[in-house]
Amino acid sequence: MLLLNKILVLGIGNYLMGDEGVGVHAALQLQNENLSSDIDIVDGGTGGFHLLEYFEKYKTIILIDATLDNNPNGTIRLIKPRFAQDFPTAMSTHDIGLKDMVSALQLMDKMPVIHLFVVSIESLQQQGIELTDEIAKAIPLLIKKIKYLIAELKEQKLEKEILAWAV
Amino acid sequence: MSTRIVVDPITRIEGHLRVEVDIENGKITDAYSSGTMVRLLEEILKGRDPKDAWAFVGRVCGVCTSIHSLTSVRAVEDALDITIPPNAEMVRNIMFCAQYLHDHVVHFYHLHAMDWVDVVNALKADPKKTSELAQSISKWPKSSPGYFSDIQTRIKKFVDSGQLGIFANGYWGHPAYKLPAEVNLIGLAHYLEALEWQKEIVKIHAIFGGKNPHPNYLVGGMACAISIDDVSGINAERLAYVGQLLQQGKEFVEQVYIPDLMAIASFYKDWGAIGGGLGNYMAYGDLPTNGYRDTASYKFPGGAILNKDISKVYDVDLRKDEEVQEFVSHSWYEYKEGKDKGLHPWKGESKVKYTGPKPPFEHLDTSKDYSYLKTPRWKGNAMEVGPLARMLVGYARGREDFKAVVDKALTDLAIPVTALFSTLGRTAARGLESVLVAQWGLEFFDQLITNIKNGDNRMAEMGKFNPSTWPKIAKGVGHSEAPRGALAHWINIEDEKIANYQLVVPTTWNASPRDNKGQLSAYESSLLGTPVADEKQPLEIIRTIHSFDPCMACSVHIYDEEGKHISRISILGD
Repeated sequence: MLLLNKILVLGIGNYLMGDEGVGVHAALQLQNENLSSDIDIVDGGTGGFHLLEYFEKYKTIILIDATLDNNPNGTIRLIKPRFAQDFPTAMSTHDIGLKDMVSALQLMDKMPVIHLFVVSIESLQQQGIELTDEIAKAIPLLIKKIKYLIAELKEQKLEKEILAWAV
Repeated sequence: MSTRIVVDPITRIEGHLRVEVDIENGKITDAYSSGTMVRLLEEILKGRDPKDAWAFVGRVCGVCTSIHSLTSVRAVEDALDITIPPNAEMVRNIMFCAQYLHDHVVHFYHLHAMDWVDVVNALKADPKKTSELAQSISKWPKSSPGYFSDIQTRIKKFVDSGQLGIFANGYWGHPAYKLPAEVNLIGLAHYLEALEWQKEIVKIHAIFGGKNPHPNYLVGGMACAISIDDVSGINAERLAYVGQLLQQGKEFVEQVYIPDLMAIASFYKDWGAIGGGLGNYMAYGDLPTNGYRDTASYKFPGGAILNKDISKVYDVDLRKDEEVQEFVSHSWYEYKEGKDKGLHPWKGESKVKYTGPKPPFEHLDTSKDYSYLKTPRWKGNAMEVGPLARMLVGYARGREDFKAVVDKALTDLAIPVTALFSTLGRTAARGLESVLVAQWGLEFFDQLITNIKNGDNRMAEMGKFNPSTWPKIAKGVGHSEAPRGALAHWINIEDEKIANYQLVVPTTWNASPRDNKGQLSAYESSLLGTPVADEKQPLEIIRTIHSFDPCMACSVHIYDEEGKHISRISILGD
């Protein structure tokens, strides 16, 4: 079933590897934010191919993940990848699976629109479920940015509907 | 003069595995397998509530997420002497079967098939001939000339766009590809179909486990309420959906996976004599039908086979101090009592001591420590675990269901039973056990329905949920057959908390470095003698290593400092 009118927020990462799991931490916190019913939030963990179903079901996806890109710790960037190659080279430990899945979607002509929030982290050496202070402090801003993007996407959709109705 | 080549990473999708081999006169003379990532789960678990361990271990990897959770709850139940209700056993078994079908099909089509199927060559196939061939090997409905010609158009568009993506790392056109263009096209078409199919079967995990990935487990049973006419829980409608998914899974295995496997295997029979390696096989057994402790009730029997001698199967006891031991003689760890001692996992230690070169490096000093994997041994023997070990143990134990599927495949391919001890045997065994698992999944489903209809809705035994009922000290072992092979977790509980937790995972058995006596483990051993036609394109190495279905995410417990994922094959003169 296609969920055309819904937006999926999907946090991915390894919850056991400290800052690497920032995507999952953000998704879990968003679940407590009482977002409207047309926003689905999923903790995608290290799901890889298991996540294909979500990528097929939704036309608009907000993806959250960690990246090792030499930017200052906690930098938040929003990118719109169209191909697997557009993803940052050093994403979290599940990156190969995720990129392969994106290639597969392209091959099947089922690529949704992906808005990717990446949070720069310093190291993948860290173990444990706790975030470092700098990354934990970045989460409120990340959540604000996600909510802002959701509002923007909804407004665009509304504009399109009004235009379609006017015609 | 030999040449050393390095393949890193060797896995197509998940993992961080590096293989270094020495080649002399076109053949591999020595091999070293190294895990280059560490993830110290053991340390994360210490001091936590044993009832929560399943949630942490389920996060270890995105591929076999639920099997670690299952193994963990079994370890705690074993330690606290909890017997789960029959419904929970059936639900766990059904989830196990769903995971197998998902994992094996994804491995075959998305991680391994491209080692045998030449994607670019498939563009040369005649769709009409492909259709005739497909219809002669299977009654699977999607087999018209138009269907295959559409697939070709899609792939051509993809290839022409320059976005090779998922197919970017193939050695297309390599002389070791032997399939006619039409078989390549069938393989490619089913690669795409399998991609669609795999997302259906895992819904079973979401139904019983509440979510997917990383479904929920519970010490004492399962966390789902079941009742035929419950509106919100697992009711007749949702159960019927599970039955339908299992039925579709069985059809996909029988009508797509197996016919493709047999068609492809018939062109690669020479691989029935390559990649055998150790000849020692071990399974712990799984799929209990009368409780975890009644090992005779297991659908997958346990046991060990030594030196390819299938006339004898030895029992394996995971509780005995001298049976399963882990060594760190060539691993980046240290033990309190020295590098050469073997430790039973109940006494296991996980203290990392990296002594390898600072990355990035050209090659490892394999005379010293060279891996983040420890080296497990059974009674001092290096053992291979996985689908081939399971099928051989079942076969050697004289189990009729195992004999039927194995003998049929041997007859159809006209190969002797000895051809099983090989790369081909490993890849075939994965398909053959999928046939069994697909059948068993439906049996478990029927049994679950019968139980519920008879009025038994119990899903968990919660008598020992409160830690005040526990002994002060307890220890347990949870074992399972993960899709990649024998998996066990050993737990020590003290004062209601986890005092020690050790995981010995299948890829550690297979991909570990040498032991204190210099004995090779399964990967290293399987590569010896393998011909390599082109050192710049070591397809042969990849075929054999992929036949084990390597998964490094859980076997090594962080990245190298660079966190690099660049596909690299470097050739060094030695």
